[in-house]
Amino acid sequence: MFVLPPALTPFLYAAIILGLTWLVARVGAFLVGELMQQSSPQVALGARRLVAVVIWLMGGILAIQEIGLSVEVLLLVVALCGIAALIALREQLENLGAKYFSDVYSPFKLGDQIRIREHEGRVIEINAMTTVLLTADDRLVSLPNSMFMREPMVNESPQAWKELTVPFSVPGSVDLAEFESELRKRLGKLRMRLDRRFPPVVTTRSRSPQVAELAVTVMIRRAEDRESLLTEVHRRIAEALQTAPSPPRSAPATSPLEAPRVPPAPSSEGPPV
Amino acid sequence: MDPMDLCINTQTPLLQFSTVIPENGQTRYWPDSVDLSELKEGADYRFSPGGVTRMVFPLVKWLHHHGRVHAAHWVALNPNGPPVVRLPGLTLHNLRLPSDKMPAYGRTKEAIWSAAHGTGPGAAEDLFWSEEFSEYAFYNRRTAEYLRRLDQREDFDVFYIHDFQQLQVGQMLDTLKPKIFRWHIPFEADAIPAEWRPVLSGALASYDVVVVSSDRYRDALRSFGHAGRIVRLYPYVDPAEYGRPGPTEIEGVCQQFGIRPEEVVILTVARMDPMKGLDRALRAFARIAPEFPTARLVLVGNGSFSSSAGGVGLSKGAQYRADLEQLALTLGISDRVTFTGHVRQSELDALYERCRFTVLPSVREGFGLVVVESWLHDRPVIVSRNAGVAELVRDGENGLLVDPDDLGAMAGALRRLLERSSPRRGFTRAARDSAEVCSLETAMHGEMAMLDGLVEI
Repeated sequence: MFVLPPALTPFLYAAIILGLTWLVARVGAFLVGELMQQSSPQVALGARRLVAVVIWLMGGILAIQEIGLSVEVLLLVVALCGIAALIALREQLENLGAKYFSDVYSPFKLGDQIRIREHEGRVIEINAMTTVLLTADDRLVSLPNSMFMREPMVNESPQAWKELTVPFSVPGSVDLAEFESELRKRLGKLRMRLDRRFPPVVTTRSRSPQVAELAVTVMIRRAEDRESLLTEVHRRIAEALQTAPSPPRSAPATSPLEAPRVPPAPSSEGPPV
Repeated sequence: MDPMDLCINTQTPLLQFSTVIPENGQTRYWPDSVDLSELKEGADYRFSPGGVTRMVFPLVKWLHHHGRVHAAHWVALNPNGPPVVRLPGLTLHNLRLPSDKMPAYGRTKEAIWSAAHGTGPGAAEDLFWSEEFSEYAFYNRRTAEYLRRLDQREDFDVFYIHDFQQLQVGQMLDTLKPKIFRWHIPFEADAIPAEWRPVLSGALASYDVVVVSSDRYRDALRSFGHAGRIVRLYPYVDPAEYGRPGPTEIEGVCQQFGIRPEEVVILTVARMDPMKGLDRALRAFARIAPEFPTARLVLVGNGSFSSSAGGVGLSKGAQYRADLEQLALTLGISDRVTFTGHVRQSELDALYERCRFTVLPSVREGFGLVVVESWLHDRPVIVSRNAGVAELVRDGENGLLVDPDDLGAMAGALRRLLERSSPRRGFTRAARDSAEVCSLETAMHGEMAMLDGLVEI
């Protein structure tokens, strides 16, 4: 029978703790996702990540203790680094935070005419740190995103109050066509509260193999419905995401020109788009 | 000038493939990629009828022949056939929709088509908020995703997207590459429901250029509020594709369709669709038939790709033909009318040569390339005023213009051309000049000016 040398036993326990940590982090993130189904997908994603990070932090500390290292010094270093980072990067973090909240709900979008403090112009760029305006006299004004959290901002675009644009992320594994079709059906249930001349428009903001940054825009009928509709749209995005399948695995979906050379299986549908 | 990489997107595919093996009648399963040279036209595939494919293929061939295109890819909906088909200088991509989504997609695009032709329900909420519209969006999104992935590999210079079935592709295709949208169906300000304006405007604004088929449509689109670039390009055909069959071939085709030598043939060439106004042609013909006992009306065409079982699977083509056959019976002219169904190009050329003149009685018609085909065969034409091509018809000079709802006028036009012993006298020169306007060579100046302006090659 194999007997583990005593010197290695703590490492075995540490490995078990890390394995359990992985499991608990997955379960925790899943439960948070379930509990936040009606929240913005962006907020839910952030919450899931936060829970996972906290659990991993705790599991890491336990694992380190198990192998006999002192965690006090480690915790002190981490805390000091954190405080230093907060102080040094305060403005950048403010901007990132503001961008995060503008991703949850945009009071303006690219192309809108807005006014904030003495600045007025058309929004031509929204990046992680700044929002860039093009003024009437062709100048660029770069405004820190944090400014939009502190200062009153006026969106002067015609009927801007009607437009509800909700940004959200979709994992790269989701079949966008199926998801959009499902989302449209679910948003159709809200049509009594929406301007029916404007069916939902789903636009792509950016894309990577891992994630697609999208936004859905609807036009509301009554200004006082705006907040409740925002919640409803978030909820329906989350629901549609849960039901959307992955893209078809046939060749064209992933690689249009690399169709496999094997004879196709008899099927009434054949390979989908 | 560097040759460009071009991506074309249509709903109707260039080629339609057989679904059975001719030798044994068993269901055919295509490999994932085939070379067209390995297949046989007629047995394995046939060219799709209709103006869009008839125009786009010569464009690609011309660009390839003149070294203006490096590689061309043509993405279309095609439920049957190999996913990829290779031709010299052109790769066809046949997309499929899940079979459960096809009927809803078909009905939705038919509703859009009907509304654009002034016969649809028109209420935006009935259409754009329906669950079926989700499947139309599904098709457009799938197409846009396919184009995006193809672009990652091919790095296209320009996307050339055709017709209303693909309307949303521009919005859904997130690329900085130039996007052209060719609007093939009529654009009549009085027909398109006013409440569609936001949807249409948003979709059209996503394209760098919108191409329309007549000055009238250009003006209507501008007055509709489209602020982007509009280019009017008349649809076109390659005259080299149209043969002049000899007497033996013509006689063979006439025997095939029961046309007797002494008969005077009046020809219509159109898919079986109520919008083509073929019922009007029958009714007008019935009025003058007793006066001209040797006259025969020959109707060429069947359903479109959308109507075909191998296409979208809508049944309106077959239904409309049945209605027309019943109407001919009711009018007492069934023995004077011939329905040929789909014919091969060589047979069509023979029928053009055999006829005395042609009729395009469309209620509405995006353009009407059959008029140009008639001109190429030196045949006079009776043309609906509602067709886009009508603005090229000089009444009495290269054709006769009629109101498709005025049966008396249409019957009068038929009578006028039947009474003339030589209706082509004084007509041929004007017809050839008019056909030149819609010839491939002429049209390529416009196409290249537009493409060069976009991609700066």
